[in-house]
Amino acid sequence: MSEIKKGGSTKPVLSKGEGLITGGIKRRDFLKILGVVGGTAAITGGCSPEPVEKIIPYVIPPDTIIPGIPKWYASTCMECPAGCGILVKNREGRAIKIEGNPLSPINSGGTCARGQAALQGLYNPDRIGGPHTRNSSGRLEPTAWDEAESILVEKIKEIRSKGNGNKIVFLTNNISGSLNRLIDDWVNALGGRHIVYETFSHEPLKEANRISFGINKIPTYHIEETKYLLSFGADMLETWLSPVQYARKFSEMHGYKNKSMGKFVQVEPRLSLTGVSADEWIAIRPGTEAFLALGIANAILSEGAASVTSGEADKLNRLVKDYKPDVVSLITEVPTETITRIAKEFVESRPSLALGGGAANTSSKSTETLVAINILNYIAGNVGDTVNFGDTLTLSNANSFREIASLVDSMSKSEVELLLIYNVNPSFTLPKTLRFDEALKKVPFVVSFSSFMDETTEQANLVLPDHTTLEKWGDYTHQDSVYGVIQPIMDPVFNTKSIGDVILSISKKIEGLESQFSSNTFYDYLRDSWRGIQTRLAPDKDFEAFWTDKVERGGIYREIAPIQVRLSQEVSTVSFSEPKFEGEGAIYFMAYPSYRYYDGRGANKPWLQELPDAITTAVWDTWVEINPETARKIGVREGDFLSIESPYGNITTQAYIYKGIRPDTIAVPIGLGHKSYGRYAQNRGVNPIEILPVLTDEASGGFAWLSTKVNVSKTGKREQLVKTQDSTSQEGRGIAQAITLKELESGVHEQHELGEKFDMYPPQKYIKHRWGMSIDLSKCIGCGACVTACYAENNIPVVGKGQVAKRREMSWIRIERFYHEDNGFDIRFIPMLCQHCGNAPCEPVCPVYATYHNHEGLNAMIYNRCVGTRYCSNNCTYKVRRFNWFTYNWPEPLNWQLNPDVSVRTKGVMEKCTFCVQRIRFGEDRARDEERNVRDGEIIPACAQACPTKVIVFGDLKDGESTVSHLAKDERGYRVLQEVNTQPAITYLKKVTWDKA
Amino acid sequence: MNQESALTYSKVNHDIIRMLDKPTVKWWSLFIFDLAVLAFGLFCFLYQVYTGLGVAGYRHPVFWAVYITNFVFWVGIAHSGTLISAILYLFRARFRMSIYRISEAMTVFAVLTAGLFPIIHLGRPWSFYWLLPYPNQRELWVNFRSPLLWDVFAVGTYLTVSSIFFFVGMIPDIAAIRDRVKEIPRKIIYTILSLGWKGSTWEWGHYTRAYFYFAAFATPLVISVHSVVSWDFAMSNVPGWHSTIFPPYFVAGAIFSGLAMVITLVVPIRKIFHLEQFITIANFEGMAKMIILTSLIVTYAYVVEFFMAWYSGNPYEWGQFMYRAKGDYALFYWIMIFCNSVVPLLLWFKKVRTNIKALFIISLFINIGMWFERFNIIVISLSHDFEPGGWGLYRVSWVELGVTAGSFAWFFMFFLLFIKILPALSISEIKEILPAPTREAKAR
Amino acid sequence: MIKEQGVFGIFSYIDSTVQAIKKLREADFKNLRVFSPFPSHEIEEALERRESIVRFFTLTGATLGALCGLTLTILTSLDWPIRTSAKPIVSLPPFMIFVFELTVLFGSLATLLGLLINSRLRRNAPRIMYDPRFSEDKFGIAVVCKIEDIRKVEEILKLSGADEVQFEGI
Repeated sequence: MSEIKKGGSTKPVLSKGEGLITGGIKRRDFLKILGVVGGTAAITGGCSPEPVEKIIPYVIPPDTIIPGIPKWYASTCMECPAGCGILVKNREGRAIKIEGNPLSPINSGGTCARGQAALQGLYNPDRIGGPHTRNSSGRLEPTAWDEAESILVEKIKEIRSKGNGNKIVFLTNNISGSLNRLIDDWVNALGGRHIVYETFSHEPLKEANRISFGINKIPTYHIEETKYLLSFGADMLETWLSPVQYARKFSEMHGYKNKSMGKFVQVEPRLSLTGVSADEWIAIRPGTEAFLALGIANAILSEGAASVTSGEADKLNRLVKDYKPDVVSLITEVPTETITRIAKEFVESRPSLALGGGAANTSSKSTETLVAINILNYIAGNVGDTVNFGDTLTLSNANSFREIASLVDSMSKSEVELLLIYNVNPSFTLPKTLRFDEALKKVPFVVSFSSFMDETTEQANLVLPDHTTLEKWGDYTHQDSVYGVIQPIMDPVFNTKSIGDVILSISKKIEGLESQFSSNTFYDYLRDSWRGIQTRLAPDKDFEAFWTDKVERGGIYREIAPIQVRLSQEVSTVSFSEPKFEGEGAIYFMAYPSYRYYDGRGANKPWLQELPDAITTAVWDTWVEINPETARKIGVREGDFLSIESPYGNITTQAYIYKGIRPDTIAVPIGLGHKSYGRYAQNRGVNPIEILPVLTDEASGGFAWLSTKVNVSKTGKREQLVKTQDSTSQEGRGIAQAITLKELESGVHEQHELGEKFDMYPPQKYIKHRWGMSIDLSKCIGCGACVTACYAENNIPVVGKGQVAKRREMSWIRIERFYHEDNGFDIRFIPMLCQHCGNAPCEPVCPVYATYHNHEGLNAMIYNRCVGTRYCSNNCTYKVRRFNWFTYNWPEPLNWQLNPDVSVRTKGVMEKCTFCVQRIRFGEDRARDEERNVRDGEIIPACAQACPTKVIVFGDLKDGESTVSHLAKDERGYRVLQEVNTQPAITYLKKVTWDKA
Repeated sequence: MNQESALTYSKVNHDIIRMLDKPTVKWWSLFIFDLAVLAFGLFCFLYQVYTGLGVAGYRHPVFWAVYITNFVFWVGIAHSGTLISAILYLFRARFRMSIYRISEAMTVFAVLTAGLFPIIHLGRPWSFYWLLPYPNQRELWVNFRSPLLWDVFAVGTYLTVSSIFFFVGMIPDIAAIRDRVKEIPRKIIYTILSLGWKGSTWEWGHYTRAYFYFAAFATPLVISVHSVVSWDFAMSNVPGWHSTIFPPYFVAGAIFSGLAMVITLVVPIRKIFHLEQFITIANFEGMAKMIILTSLIVTYAYVVEFFMAWYSGNPYEWGQFMYRAKGDYALFYWIMIFCNSVVPLLLWFKKVRTNIKALFIISLFINIGMWFERFNIIVISLSHDFEPGGWGLYRVSWVELGVTAGSFAWFFMFFLLFIKILPALSISEIKEILPAPTREAKAR
Repeated sequence: MIKEQGVFGIFSYIDSTVQAIKKLREADFKNLRVFSPFPSHEIEEALERRESIVRFFTLTGATLGALCGLTLTILTSLDWPIRTSAKPIVSLPPFMIFVFELTVLFGSLATLLGLLINSRLRRNAPRIMYDPRFSEDKFGIAVVCKIEDIRKVEEILKLSGADEVQFEGI
């Protein structure tokens, strides 16, 4: 992304003869884009809809677009199966920023770092520029679309002529909605199969629900309503089911408000990012969660506290009677009193909720575990209350890993003649031992629709690159209550074509299909299928009005109430036993999904690569987390390269000493270790999946991620582990403060007082505004969405691993993490950014007034005036200033994303957080135009906007009624290092803990 | 005394002007080597300007390092020059006469060297002149509240005044050279430089008066300049910088390092040009005694810093000083203590004081020690300040080392030229301290 | 046409030089120019010269410098008032530093000026009434007098022990 400037920058890969935008944007193309957006806007604007491909010539200037004024378009994020609603900012025909759609009930305004980084997928310099076909010499070479399509048509004809239609397989991820229907119908019409492969597809969850309640589906959970959340390794704040949704709901449940908050207990062998937010971490022995759940159930039932019919009670008693807490304690290594205590808390604080099924903890006995957890929920009366079987997930439609395995098997038996692959990268996400690549070689013809040259696409015979989500029409349904619309934000950057259009256009050339797939474009097809939805949901409405309205709002959002379910008979048949672990090693091996890369698809986005992992703060590489005790035993220090050996191979990566993991366990994040997939992903880090056995959860056939025991040994090699924060302790300096509920209730705790009275000079005067911020540490989960949002909004360059090793990352806001080991192990996060001090130490020391205090309380930074003495940073108490050591550049077309409202800095100048001054000005100007004052909450900086848990509140401290000025006086409020008397404009609200502070 | 009596006016002239004879091969080889190093330093600097400051070893949060260390180091060196010439002149200290010219030269060249670093360390060195308050079309002025601007004025003034002082002091001697040299080019040059000095009582009258005023100005200036330099740090809020003892501490340190540097320079010159008659053991002893004094002051400052950090109960200060003594940079800290506080104690012994070799070696130790003192103050304080989340380690880069070497070469280039072009000892003032020739003396 | 003429004695000893000066002044030859290789108090006393006026230059320079320091800092700050931290636009304590520095700077420059002007230092080498040995080890007295007095002066010089005596017409 930003090597030291060496002049030339890479251009988008384009197949020959395609007159598309290369290098700088040409005038004609620019107008073309204006036209297109005009078209799109026309649709969303409610005028007569027209296909996005139609270009409005400049003689009819698009009235809906004014250069310099951004337009926002609603769409749906497809970076993970959660399908959050998004609003995309379009400036002069380019998508430059993604924000959460406040209307969407899934994320209601928030996003995660991955969502923010979707833009770097759109503008990724390593995207496939156009259709490619494998030439005689076996190399993929560019071709034209109609040629590429006719090749596929010929292939299909050939196969059908042989009557081998059943040997056609369409392998996709979980694309619900119209495209899913199209592919289903189409491949069925050909006689083939459509297989849905999700790397993390939660089969045990479905199966367990079938067994317990006879519903083979994944429910939604109303975490926000619970008072007590007991999670058995479900990483619901990272990748589990719908992270942004559950992060928001979690903060509603766990954030401190009117003197109370919910309690969250996390049960897992490794303290995950989700676990960090827990009030209690129970480091259970890997794979024994089922017994703990049963133990708790046992305790509850024996207390007679269960809310179940007597019949069910006996049934359940029979099931759990052997699992007295003391017995369980021996298996799980969880103290008996803890078990009984949790049992008590779980039933007494209602509504409660027990979760399970995080990929990292999925063992060969996960279904049983989840059944046990279902029982817990059931006896606590949560099913039908906080567990909602009315509103289930489309993820339930994914095929199980066992089915994928059998597909691979039939491939290797040459029972597949044509394999079409869309949005999945099995070569990377399937364990090596499954031998997918070998099987793929047995398939005569492989077609990939991927936009990126990933491991699987590299082996394809034909590549028909699809648009990214931001360039095409579509729809997506994550849960029954939401139909999300996907609309093109801009003209395709490369010579790509929407998969839907490809399927439709080739259908025209295959006899028998043309009638069934008559729509000219996928856009038409989409609208047709939405006609269906309309007749179902709003039969009385006129379609166009309905359609326009939904497109504007980003989709259909409904409420679906929970349905009541009873325990099924089958439960009693379940028998519980410990899961199987392969390998003779002494240490459990845990491969956990990364909240930055998901299953690896995020690895080609520099923003995600440079976003520090919240717990280790490591970037651009893989690491292995190892307990200090174990490390001491084998004499390992941080940065040592460890060889991790399973029966199926070994990986070597750097050690990170982490107290938040059991001594008998090590953990490696999934996502890196790509062999291809572009310059940012390639040959970086290792892929833990490679050494996993092909072991499934016996009952459900889901992949068992936690199924290996390994040997760990030192290689002797050692390097600096590149991370952004060295110190793990806050040295008792009260940077990230916490307070216990008791203290808050009793009110006996020192209030922070403001420093004015120590001043020699009179305090600052502010004419109209004094912009300020408050950051609620009781809500911050350390997800880093704010950091990535800041990169996107403020044109912050990515500097690469080598420079981060010198601590030269440019992020204006960083999530600091501090370990607390006094009573139990606990991690605290605190977002650290420019505090816009009233008495800013950085200001008076600048000899050229490059930084000064403006009349709205902003600590302004004037790049043009800066000569780079760097004194300001030396004198900055919070060390939040960043210096441009080099001129960083953005490889074409990543630079298309740059925000025109923010100047791009060159070498030798200082920079830092501006409170998104461009947004402040925009808000103020709009207010002035409308002859009113700025409304509270009208101006939202990028970080605050992106935050899924609404930690950050921005506003005017001068206006006594604003939320922020109330929060500034909050009893939990404090200013970091206020004894230095810098008088920050940022008030932090102390984290609230149950017992320890 | 015996030697001195052998000195006549004409011997003084002869011996001192003899130093300006044709450079030897040794001198040339030294000079060329020096230029080579300078060239490398220049290359490093240009490379840095071209690619960006990132090629230096800076890492967040250590934004000042070797360059500023060099700046303070050279400014420090510059001080004893003026001290010896001006202050000792006001005190009429006789041992000054033979060495003050060399130390004044050292002052001027050291300031010239020091002045480079604030520019070298800039992120955008091509805009350095933005620090000067000149009327410009953008109608921008500078921030007079910034310690860096105090520097600009203090160092600028210091350079000007010490250069004037240096030059004026030389006029009569240049005249003496003028009257001696025969070959045309040099004759012309010295004629011009001597401004037609005749040595008439008339000239001497104004001359001595003016010289007195220069001395009177230079003395407080010296104190002020290094106080200002120390305020670059003391005025900030960085633990380890924000301290009231900095000005006296820095001034003492400056004199300390300056004297050491004078010895380092004078010893070889004295040997090479056989100036034993002029630069006597007594002179060295005088300096040695001042070194003991300043060394003690500096040591006292080290102790007080620690005491205050502990006594104030300020966790940031205390954290900082514990870190200095025991942290990642502890080695440098203890090098500093050894060189600046322990080694100079040897000078209590007259044997050591009066042993040129020993003095020379000790002076080298002190130079090293004082460089590290500045390094420790700057780098260690920055890498370990208020916010643990922002802490980071600094590692020097080859570019910085190259530029530093270059700066030494730059300094010695001037010095080598100086001893070959200008009188390295003051002819007229040495005559002043010689017994004036009288007829009575002759008669006896 | 002869403007000025004089007798010119060269001495090796300072005491004889002083003696000669005294004698000449007694004989009412006031227009003397004395040369010496170093500033000598005896000679100064013998000549009874008054205090150099360089000091007035110095004083003016210094005062001017102080004023400049004050005006520069205050006026520019007011011309472009920018708030840094909570410090007042005109914060005198730091400004005093500039007052001091400029006092010293202007003072020294003025002194230099004073020196150059008063001692009439010129670029070219002295030709008449000068002997290169003055910059080495000889003292000299140049007496500007009328032609009829030349003998008398020569006598005085000789008697007081001049090594040699020359006549110079200008």
